[in-house]
Parts: sequence; C-alpha cells; structure tokens
Amino acid sequence: MTHTTFKLTTLATALLLAYGQGFAQELDVAELSKPSSSVSLGVGNWSAKRPQQGIHDGMRDNGAYGLFDADIVKRDDATGTWMTFTARSLGTTTRELGAGYERQGDCAANLRYNELTRDNPYTFNTATQGIGTTTLTTISAANPARSEVTLGTQRKKFDLDLVKHISPELKFAINFKQETKDGTRQWGRGGAAEFSVEPIDARTRQIEATLSHTGKQLQLSGGYYGSWYDNANSLVTTALSTGAGIYYLTLPLDNQAHQLFLDGGYSFTPTTRGTFKVQYSRATQNEHLATADIAGLALATAPTNLNGRIDTTLYQLGLTARPLRDLSVVASLRYRNEDDKTPVATYVTTGAGPTIVHNTPYNYKTLAGKLEGTYQLPENFSLIAGLDLSNQDRTLPVGNLVAGTDTERFVPFRAGLDETTYRLQLRRALSDTVNGSVAYLQGKRKGSAYSGTEATQSDQINPIHIADRTRNKWRLSADWMPSEAFSLQVNVEAAKDEYGNDAARPYGLRDGTSNLYSLDASYAISRNWQVTGWLSHDNTRANQYNARWQQAAPNNLEAQRTTHLTDAEDALGLGVRGKVSGAFNVGADLQWTETRAEYPSDITVTGLGTTLTPYPAGNNALPNIRNQIVTLKLFGVYALDKNSDLRVDLIHERWKTNDWSWLFADGSPFTYGTATDGTQVLSNPKQTSNFIGARYIYKFQ
Amino acid sequence: MKALLTLFAVIGIIGMSSAPAVAADAPAPAAEKKEPAKDLILKGDAKCTGCHDEADVPKPTMLELHPQVLNIGKTKHGTVADARTPTCTACHGESEKHLAHKGSGKPPKPDTVFSMRTQTPVETRNAACLSCHQGGNRIGWQLSKHGSQDVACTSCHQIHTAQDRVRDKTAQTEVCFTCHKEQRAQMARVSHHPVPEGKMACSSCHNVHGDNPKQLVKSSVNDTCYTCHMEKRGPFVHNHQPVSEDCSICHQAHGTTAANLLKSRTPFLCQECHSHSSHPGQTPGQPTTRTTSTSLLGAIGRGCLNCHTNIHGSNSSQNSATVGRFRR
Repeated sequence: MTHTTFKLTTLATALLLAYGQGFAQELDVAELSKPSSSVSLGVGNWSAKRPQQGIHDGMRDNGAYGLFDADIVKRDDATGTWMTFTARSLGTTTRELGAGYERQGDCAANLRYNELTRDNPYTFNTATQGIGTTTLTTISAANPARSEVTLGTQRKKFDLDLVKHISPELKFAINFKQETKDGTRQWGRGGAAEFSVEPIDARTRQIEATLSHTGKQLQLSGGYYGSWYDNANSLVTTALSTGAGIYYLTLPLDNQAHQLFLDGGYSFTPTTRGTFKVQYSRATQNEHLATADIAGLALATAPTNLNGRIDTTLYQLGLTARPLRDLSVVASLRYRNEDDKTPVATYVTTGAGPTIVHNTPYNYKTLAGKLEGTYQLPENFSLIAGLDLSNQDRTLPVGNLVAGTDTERFVPFRAGLDETTYRLQLRRALSDTVNGSVAYLQGKRKGSAYSGTEATQSDQINPIHIADRTRNKWRLSADWMPSEAFSLQVNVEAAKDEYGNDAARPYGLRDGTSNLYSLDASYAISRNWQVTGWLSHDNTRANQYNARWQQAAPNNLEAQRTTHLTDAEDALGLGVRGKVSGAFNVGADLQWTETRAEYPSDITVTGLGTTLTPYPAGNNALPNIRNQIVTLKLFGVYALDKNSDLRVDLIHERWKTNDWSWLFADGSPFTYGTATDGTQVLSNPKQTSNFIGARYIYKFQ
Repeated sequence: MKALLTLFAVIGIIGMSSAPAVAADAPAPAAEKKEPAKDLILKGDAKCTGCHDEADVPKPTMLELHPQVLNIGKTKHGTVADARTPTCTACHGESEKHLAHKGSGKPPKPDTVFSMRTQTPVETRNAACLSCHQGGNRIGWQLSKHGSQDVACTSCHQIHTAQDRVRDKTAQTEVCFTCHKEQRAQMARVSHHPVPEGKMACSSCHNVHGDNPKQLVKSSVNDTCYTCHMEKRGPFVHNHQPVSEDCSICHQAHGTTAANLLKSRTPFLCQECHSHSSHPGQTPGQPTTRTTSTSLLGAIGRGCLNCHTNIHGSNSSQNSATVGRFRR
C-alpha cells in the first residue's frame, strides 16, 4: 500500500466549494480559526417512484420531500466547551438528529437519534390476511379479491455517549444504544412454497463501558460489553382459509450476551511494542419455546426451554519490532474458543433421513499465528514477506462420527482445518512521481478426514467452507503523479481458487477465479476547473459440479451437471467541478454500473430415474441477468452573500434489469401456489426518475 | 501591520501557484521591522504563524483541498483550553533549519511534513499522532493491516480542517475507496448495505485502527454482524452450521448481484455444500407456469428459501423432520 493521496472527487470538491471561497474573500483569523456552522432548508421532488433505488434512502415514492440539514458547532474558547447540533434528512423517514456537549479534556455527552428504512422493492398482489400479525391466513379460493401490499422495515435508534477524563491518562466512557425494528419481511410458509410475511417487532440494546489508560509507554483499555435482543413475537401461525395446512413458524427468541475485555499495549522502545487482548463472553438464549405449548406438536420429553449458552474466550499476543535498521517484524498469536455449552436433547423422533434429531450446538477452537517481515531496500523499495498459520478444531459435543448428533447432518463435516498462507510483496513509496506495489499470496487449506452423513449421496460433496483449497492471488497497484495537476492510479488483482475433490467425493465447487482492473485519473485543467474519472471491470467465475438422484430410489443417478457461474461488473464514474465566477460554482457526477450474471450448465443425463430432461419438466434454462444503473447528478451553488448560498440539485436516475427472480419463463409475474389465492409478485424492471431540489444555505460562526 | 498583512494576502491570492513562495519570501524583510509576533491559535505558535498566517494560502485545487494552517483553530487540536492540545512543533518537530531560514528562496522543510509528497518516513509521521492517540481502539494499530502496511494516519485523516471527511459517514467511502477498489465496485451492486446512501460507513463494521481479523469492530465476523443483526445470534434449537461459524460463508457484506447480499443465487449457493437425492440436487430452471414443486422452485422467488424459510436457524421443538431443515 502506498501513501497515495488521489481523492475521488466529491467531498474534497464540495468542501472547497463550501468553504474555499474564503480564499478569494476577506481573510480573517477568526473566520479561519473559529468553528463554523450551517443550516440549509429547501424542498425537492422525485418525478416517479423509485422502488429499487429508494430501498434505503426513505424516498421510494414520487413527490415532494423537505430538505432540512443543520450542522451547528459552537465553542467557548475560554473553557474549551463545545456545543453541537446536527440534523440530516429531516424531511424523510431516514432522519438523523444529534446533540452534543463536550468540555474538551474533561467530559462529554452526545445523544444521537437516527432512522433507517429498508423497503422491499417489489409489490405484492395478495389476498393473504393478517399481514403484520402472528396469525396469517392464506386464502384457498382460486381467484379471491386481492390488494396490493408493500413490505418493509424501519429501524429507530438512540445512541448515547458519556465520557469522563478522570486524569490526563485515564478516561471512562459509556456508550448505550437502543434500537427498535418494526415492519414486515417477505417470508415463506415453510410447509409449502407459499407466500407469507414475517412480522418484525424487536428491540436491541447495547451498553459498553470502558476504562482506558493511555500513558506514553503503557496503554490499557478494559471494560464490559452487554447486548440484549428482545422480540415481541415468538411464533407465527399460518393456515389455509379452509382450516387445513397449519404451519407453526418460529421466530428468533430473546437472547443476550455479556463480555468482559481487556486490551493492552506497551512500547518497550520507539520501535518495539508488545500488545495483548483478552476477552470472555457468555451468550445465552433461554426463552420459553412457544411450540412446546401447542398440544401434540412437540415430544413430551422435549425441553420447553433451550437453555442455550455459548462461552467464548479470546487471547491474543502481538509484537512489533525492528531488530535491524532496515528490518521490521510483526508477529501475533491468537487463540479463540467458541464453546457452545447448550445441553443436547432429543427434539425429533420421526420422519425421513435421521429419525432422531437433537439440537445442534457447534464448537470452534482456532489458533492463528502471523509473522511478517519488512526489509528496506535502496531507492525507497521495500520487500515484505509474511506467513499466516491457522489451526481450527471443529467439534460437536455429542457423537463420535458413528452415533449421536454427529450422524444427523446432511452435509459432511471435518473436525480439523489447517490453513497456511505465504505472502510476498515488493513496494515502492515516498517517490515524487511513482509509487506502487506488487504482491503475491498463496494459501493452502487442508482438513482432517471427512465424517459421514445420514445418506450416501450427501457424503459425496466437498463443502465450500471446509474443502481443501489452494488459493493464488496477485495484486498490482501503481500511482503516477507527474505533476500537482495530474494523477493516474492503476489497480490489477487476480485470484484463483482450486478446491479438492476425488472420485469418491467429486461434487461441490471445483475452482474459481476473480479479476479486477481499475483505472482512476484526475486532472486540474485550471484552478477553476477540474475533472476526475474512473473505470473498473471485475469478474468472478466458478465451476460447480453437482448431481441429482431420484428421490424414490436414491441410488439412481439421474444427471450430473457442471455450472459455469459468472458475475461481472463494469463501472464508470466521471466528475467535473468548476467555478464559473467568484460566486457561482457548478459540478456534475455521472456513475454508470452494469452487472451481469450467467448460469450456463453442461448436463449429462444418465438415463436412470424418471426426470431425464436437462431441466425438470416445466422449466426452462436460466437466462443471463443484466442490471444497469445510471445516475447523473448536477448541482450549482450561488453565493448570495458572504453568509448564504442558494444550491440547486438535479438528478437523473435510471435502473434497468431483466432479473427473472420473480418472473415465469414467459415474462409474466411469478404467482405463488397452484390452489391458493394466486399471490403475485410485481417487479418493475425499468425505473426512471428525476429529482429537482433547491435549498437555501445559511452559514455562520 | 494589518495593512501589510492584507497586502501579503492579496499578493498571495493573485500570485496563484506561487502563493506559498510569495508568502514565505516576502515577510522576511518586513519581519525585521515588526514587533515580535503574537500567538494566533496555539501556545507558542507565533514562530510559525509569523509566516503561516491568514495570508499564507497554499495552492488549493478543487481536487485536493489544502486547508490553511490556521484552520487548525476550528478543530479539537486548536482548542487551547484543553491542556493536552499540542503545539505546532509537537507534530511538525522543532524544525530549527526551517525557522532559521532568511532571505529568498524556499526554506528547508520542517522536520516532520505530512503533505502528499513528503519525504518524512511514515513511522515518523505516525509517531507524532500516536504520541497522544495510541490508546483506546488504537492500541493494536502497529499490528493492524493498515499499520503494518505503512499507511500514514494522514493518508486518511486531514488535520488542519474542521471537516475531516474520513470521520464523516456520508463522505468516508471517498477516502476508503482510494485504495479499496474492489469494495467500491461491490458497493455499486443491486444488493448492498446502505453505505452509498450515507446511512452506514465503512467504520460501522471496521475498526481501521485495530488488529481484529479483517479489522472489524468486534473480534469476529459474526460478533460484528450481531451488533445490528442480533436476531441471528441464537443459539437456536436447530443451528445451521455455517451460520454459527461465519456469516461471510454465504454473504458478501460489501455488495452482490443476488438479493440479501448472498454470494450466489439459490440453489447454486446451497449446492456448494448440499448434495442429496431429489430436489436438493436439482438443475434449476425458470418455471413456465404456477407450481408448488420444490424441484422447480430452487431458483425462482426466494429459491430454496421458499420453503426453508428459517435458514438462519429454527427455534421449533415440533416433532417433525422438517424443523431440522429450517422449514419451521
């Protein structure tokens, strides 16, 4: 990594536009050195709905929105007391407010409030009753009256910081957060591939209290972190309007975690430093299981409370040193043990596959070490060599690969994983015009013997996260800055993963590659006009090998398939900033992004079984998916006087997709079920909207 | 003197690209006549602000904001009532040769320079910051990926400005994407955290000064995710193994083309681990008409999650084989 300082347009420019006029105006010490404030008020209008682009910004619907932002900062210089007030997006459902008091070096209190929406981009045409509640009814009639429904959630968070400097070296801080999340989320009925909606009504609380000592040589930071999740609901009952097809869907239950932590560091010399980290956490989930109250649903012997408990311990040691003038070394050792101590009980004694099913606690014990050396070479070059080692024990608390919970899996398991990674990098920095680095990484992951699963077919795959893997990765980056006015940055990354397989275990991901190419440039045409641009292309490809066996006769292999998965993206960004006159600044930003996803498959039909066609009867092959987003933003800021500006923003936004996720092969909307209400999911593949906004900005000190 | 300073200011502005030289050169003869300079912002800053005053206008361009030296007064570093507030030389060194320069020509650089083309080693620059800021969540800085890769504090932070953009969540990505191009591309994809919308920032999940894996704010991926997605923490009656291990086995938090930040669409994602008779091994396709067949719905709608709806874990104690498969 270099110390390049190429900057990507907007904020630096915006800051200069906002404050840089001072360079051309009266220069005054107070103006330059006293905190500044601003308040802006205006109105904007979106011309059309933006279901896709408006998922998070609270402006999904067309129409007018208030634009009100404030950033008020006051300081009493005599006492070093700061008073702040911030407001953002007050005219939308993603508003933020903050107020702060700080007597610098003594104490501080900050209170923040913010909202965040996540609106589902689709519209649901449904007759389902009870949406938003814990009792849902799916209408069984063929064509009942339906209405359009939109789904989404909103978070509202309060965040309080309290800080007290007990002495110049000792600080006590408390942070408390409370967030509520309400709304609805698209779901499934579980027992059938039918439409359902999860009611969201939950609250989280987090508190972190930290006592920190910061000395010249010794630093310590220790404290307590607690977090609580409270869900107002624990069970949803869904049924058909006929009264049949009752499915009880469970929700996340109340849980909590408590952690004690201590971090420390000691600088033995200016170049030799040791650090440590110790954490102990206990997470529990002990709410009553709602399904235990439904007559005949659970085993009489099944627990009515999970009594879940996970204890996690972490120990970490680190050392940085410079044993030779030109050689610096970084080393660390980390041990983390996530021990699920939940008691194991029998919950299921019926059904196909494993006939007995327990709850499934997992343990992970990881020891990881890192050693890295940097050697300074002539001409500002440096050579970096690194070695990372990881050893993980992954165990189930019951079973011996023959009996107990260990035989109840649908996916093979490995009790141990080892990974070794070598890194080599050549870097040049501190040059006047050219900086850059080239890096190579090779990682090898191997594991212990696979344990079996409950079915032969399930045991023929190499699961992606535990499969043997060899990873090779290259990275090249270079910055060229021949003058103050012009800079160019190039990045190239290439990686390849190869996954282990053999004749007895042939399925799973075989290999994958990823590539990234990016080019960034900036040019200052004059002091008043500057342009920036960037271009990037990346792609990820993977070859995945799978098989299908007949359900009625699992030994009958019906087909084998290699899918060549591709995700690719091209993106372009252009920016221009200009000063038309001393009082009038303009700017424009264009961003164009296109992503492509492809799913071509090579299929070998074996002739066994009953489903012999490449795609099961009634299906067509998956087409490629292309998404395109274009956003053009224009703005102009006119200084009405020294303290006030008028800003106008224009945005043109265009979203286009041929995503088939919610479409039948003929392009008609996906419709749930065959004998139920016919809930349809309506997507809008082309969305174009324009925004115009004007605001008055008042600046003061 | 005020008139003289104003004159320097005008010269500084008109002089455009040669502004620093003009400002630096011109005061020398005048300085011999004027009274000892007074501190403008910081204690003992007169020896610096005698030249680097309100007339000292570095070459600003719109691409790279060069804040004025006096802008330090707008910041915490310019609040002199706080006894901890440093002086100019606390960060830039005593710089005796720089201060002793007389006459025309560019003076020697100060001892510690933080600008773009500085020859001051990163370790020296960072030492100036760490002499006060080594505590708290920066205890592990030297072991962090950034720290061990010679990233300077001032590669990301601007000190002489009230608007340090890397500390503004609506603008932070502009700084991070300077190096992290892959994440810039991913954030532009259809499924992403609300970072481009300015509702989250990179630092919502990453402590870029820390030595946790992937420089996360918590000691593991899952513990970081749980700070906002605590409903996934469980433990559940029926845990989905990769969920309990690492959220990033299935999710790419920076952005994906598949919904819900999934690395791949179902059933391909699920078939990375699941091999089984019947529909789990299906060849996915696009249905031509309404269906309830699980063999036909692996890719459409919510894919495998049409039925396996509680994929993060189930709290059902129902005596049914379906619960262990996250359908209840």
